[in-house]
Amino acid sequence: MKVTINKTDSYEKESAVITAVAVTEDIRNAADILRGNGASIPVISGSDTLMIGTSSIYYIESVDKRTYVYTKGECHETRYRLYELEEILGTGFLRCSKAMIVNIKKIRSVRAELNARLSAELLNGERLIISRGYVKDLKKKLGVN
Amino acid sequence: MNKAKIIFNQTLMISTAILFGMGIRTAVLYLAAGQYMINWQWYIPLSIVMVGFFCALASLILYDDSDAGRISQRLRICIHFLLVFGIVSLFGYLFDWYSDLPQYLLIVIMYIVIYAFVWISTIWILKADADKINDAIKEIRDEE
Repeated sequence: MKVTINKTDSYEKESAVITAVAVTEDIRNAADILRGNGASIPVISGSDTLMIGTSSIYYIESVDKRTYVYTKGECHETRYRLYELEEILGTGFLRCSKAMIVNIKKIRSVRAELNARLSAELLNGERLIISRGYVKDLKKKLGVN
Repeated sequence: MNKAKIIFNQTLMISTAILFGMGIRTAVLYLAAGQYMINWQWYIPLSIVMVGFFCALASLILYDDSDAGRISQRLRICIHFLLVFGIVSLFGYLFDWYSDLPQYLLIVIMYIVIYAFVWISTIWILKADADKINDAIKEIRDEE
C-alpha cells in the first residue's frame, strides 16, 4: 500500500484517510492506532498488571515519586515516570503542570484565572489547573494563536 | 507566558494607562480652566515608564504558580493593590507628580481608574484566549 504523510501545523488539523479494497483486520488495527484507541499502558491493580487503553485515560499525576493513572472512575498506579509517559502518549496529551499530564480530548472546557493559569473541567466533572507555563503548549497543540 | 514577558507587557500597559490618565487630567484642566499649555519636567515621561516597570514587578505576586484558593487570590489582589498604591505614592512624591493634598487626591482617583483599566484589559485578554481554546477543544473532544 502506498503511504503518504503530509505535515500540518496543528493537532486539530490532523487527519488520515485510508483507501483500501477491503476493511481487513490490519486496516482496522491501523485505524484504531490512528484514532488513539490502539495504544495502551500497563498499570498495577492489586497484585495484577492490567493494560489500560490510552483513550480511556483522563489524567496522570505524580505524587511522592509514584505515578497514578486516572480513568473515568478509577485510579491505578503505573511504574512509568511522568516524562516517560509524556513520550509514550504523544500529542493528544498535555503536560499541564510539573506533576500532571492531561488527555486533551477529555477536557470539557477551560476557564481563565486571574493569575494567567487555566482551570480545566474534565468530562467527568473533575477540575485541574493548567499552569501558566503550559498554556502556550496547549495553544500550540490546538493550533490557537 | 514567562515572567519577562509578563513584566514587559504589564510595563507597557501600565505606562499607557498612566499616560491616558494624564491626558484626561490635562483635558479636564483645559475644559475647566482653559489651561492651554502644560509644562512637564524632563524626567516626567521617564518616571511614567519607571512606575510602569516597578508596578509590573509588583504584579509578579499575582502570577505565583503555587496553589492558591479563591481567598488567597483575593488576598493577593488586595496586597497588590496596596503595594502598587505605595509605589505610585512614593514615585509621585519623588518625581513631583503632586505638591499638595488636592493634587494627591487626584492622583489617588487616577490610580483607582488606571488599576481598574489594567485589570479589565488583562481579564479581557485572558478570557479571549480561553474562548479560543474552548472553540478548538470542542472540535476534538471525546463524547461524554
